[in-house]
Amino acid sequence: MSRLNRAATAYPGAALNRRQLLRLASLGLALPAAGTLLAACGDDGGSTATDGTVKFEGWDFEPKLVQQNIDRFTGLNSDIKVAYTPITSAQYVQKIVAEFTAGNGPDALYVYDDVLTGWVEAGYLQPIDGLPGVDDVYNAIYASNAATMSYKGKRYGLPYYTDSQGLVYNAEILSKAGITAPPKSLDEWEQQAVKIKNAGLMQYPIGFYAQRQDTWWAWLWALVFGSGGALFDDQLNPVMNTAGSKVKDVLAWLQHATFTSKVIDPASLQIVSAAIDPAMMEGRYAYTIGARYSLSMYNDAAKSKSAGKMKMGMVPSLDGTTLGTVSHTRMYCLAKDTKVKDSAHKLISYLGGFDNEKKPYTAKFWFMQEGLGFTFKALAQDAEVQAKLGKFIDPAVYAKLADVAKARNVIAAPWYHEYETEQQKVVQEVLSNQTTPDAAAVALEKAANTLKSKYQ
Amino acid sequence: MATTTTTTATRIVAGGKQRGPRQLGDTARAYLLNAPALTVILLLVAYPIGYSFWVSLHRDNLKQPAAKRFIGLGNYTSLIHDDAFLKSLKVSALFVVVVLSLTVVLSLALALLLNESFMGRGVLRSLVLLPWAMPGVVNGLMWRTVFDAKTGALNGFLTSLGVIDSYQAWLSSSTGAFLLTALAQVWNTLPFAVIILLAGLAATPSELYDAAKVDRAGVFQRFRQVTLPWLLHPLLIVLILETMNSFRAFDTIYVLTGGGPGDATDTIALLDVRTVLTYTDFGLGSAYAWVITAITLVVSVGYVSLLYRKGSFEV
Repeated sequence: MSRLNRAATAYPGAALNRRQLLRLASLGLALPAAGTLLAACGDDGGSTATDGTVKFEGWDFEPKLVQQNIDRFTGLNSDIKVAYTPITSAQYVQKIVAEFTAGNGPDALYVYDDVLTGWVEAGYLQPIDGLPGVDDVYNAIYASNAATMSYKGKRYGLPYYTDSQGLVYNAEILSKAGITAPPKSLDEWEQQAVKIKNAGLMQYPIGFYAQRQDTWWAWLWALVFGSGGALFDDQLNPVMNTAGSKVKDVLAWLQHATFTSKVIDPASLQIVSAAIDPAMMEGRYAYTIGARYSLSMYNDAAKSKSAGKMKMGMVPSLDGTTLGTVSHTRMYCLAKDTKVKDSAHKLISYLGGFDNEKKPYTAKFWFMQEGLGFTFKALAQDAEVQAKLGKFIDPAVYAKLADVAKARNVIAAPWYHEYETEQQKVVQEVLSNQTTPDAAAVALEKAANTLKSKYQ
Repeated sequence: MATTTTTTATRIVAGGKQRGPRQLGDTARAYLLNAPALTVILLLVAYPIGYSFWVSLHRDNLKQPAAKRFIGLGNYTSLIHDDAFLKSLKVSALFVVVVLSLTVVLSLALALLLNESFMGRGVLRSLVLLPWAMPGVVNGLMWRTVFDAKTGALNGFLTSLGVIDSYQAWLSSSTGAFLLTALAQVWNTLPFAVIILLAGLAATPSELYDAAKVDRAGVFQRFRQVTLPWLLHPLLIVLILETMNSFRAFDTIYVLTGGGPGDATDTIALLDVRTVLTYTDFGLGSAYAWVITAITLVVSVGYVSLLYRKGSFEV
């Protein structure tokens, strides 16, 4: 009798035979496949509502305010029940996909502009053309927002909010360094930052959120568009590596400002989008690129140590004269297979349309509460809106950013998310000095072309 | 009743094996009693696994429902030219090697320490278990705080010791991000390895150590000649399970680096989750999952054939 077998007899459980070991290994090995499969099991999506309750889901931006607004809606529509679930922003897309795949999707939901086409193609959403009030809304909003919420000639969303990116800066820090106006060009931006650094005010005046994430890096698109650059042409062919491409110059500036003048914080690679807000409010950076509405929070004394000091300027460009930036639209949509279509439509009409007085109540509510940009043209003339605007941002800059902003055309491509992931990876390589701007542009072009071929 | 028992016993003794209608009934009854458990296993384990393989044989991207079709091994053959897959495989392999090496060395040292008798051993054994109780996401968030470039404890500690002059962005370099992510993974899974090895040490007969001491064997000789041979099978379990764990590591890495900088920590598990849930490419994602499964199976079989026999020695 071997010593092993004797030990196994003397100490039950202390040793395993080969068969037991293989069984154990097989069970453990089954887990990854099972994990994937659990997500894959299920029907083609749709609501499971059985008692008429509208299942409504959105990412977790100010969920208490959302609930407050929904309570108002159910107060006005006592025959409709709404079950609202906020989902953490970082996992919103994955969670919704998993829910629809498992046949347990919501009836009405928030939708990012950059997932709209994919979710329409996946059969999650239904067009809203012809539903009561939709034409009125689309006639009242900016054309660019209407276009972003449409796909293949059909309308899918009612507007939640829209916004543009601008240069956020801490005027007090600039002033301490003797700087009186925000930079117009990227070179001027770098020189100002060096001045702040040399004044001993902070080691790295510029910060971005540059950790890889599932959502877009708005700041990068803003820098490219701000210099009049483009990543794709109208046919969605990559143009970042063509002669005269502004993308390479913007990447070169990023690398220079990170490794030569050392004004961009290398820790940006560790910062996720949600972490840039506290960093700016604590005065950790003098500059970043952010959405216009972020200034509402940054200048709120109840939330920010830097309240009253935060301002916004146009996005600096390569030549110092070009003006441009990127915009985005968030919307409310209806699930394709909802069994409570009428109630769900009433809900999203309340949230993204007009109230009984023909006014965009919820859009104004969000602007007044959080400064979220509105898509309704008429709100720009609203006295309360104008008064609120003046409290957190220069109205002229606010309007100018909206004028020069454009949406990303590539979000219409089914491969957009794969491209965005690749873009973040390549730009991280630029920011960590693993590659050159020229090589990065080549890599991005190759990635885009590969994805185009893959999806044909 | 007594007569029946005697008759059955006689049949067993005479034939060496149970035969006859009564024994067939026992077998059927065994299957009947196990049927509920078997059904659950088939539904919750076998069916999803089989369905996963079936999905992996299709072009199945939710963004292109019209393009869904059976492509046989197309998803698998495409991996040969899939740069993202090949790079993530390389990163995963390196990650496994680093995590496994650290885990084995540290867990062995800790297990040997905790096997000794000293005051507070019970408390220490309990404390060692704590990291294992921590979910991967929480583990990632904790280490994220520790490694923070502005307020992290690691920076504070090293600055106070005078090792560094100013705070560093530890996760902004490829090497730093990779090694620190591996360290965070080791911290999370180390307790399990310690428990297994501690059980192995407890099962080692003390008379063998007594005999070795009589033979004037030193500490290292006792470790090499007694401890290590008796730990081979527990080590085998640790190697198999920790290889699987580190090859499938997702949550800690996702929270700490998201796969960056560049693709320095972009493991196959991250790529798989992203492919399925962000790109909604269930066909390719399932193929990735099966490749992960196949690789860990091959590695595990390799461990078994290398180490199992070495632990089966005669006195």
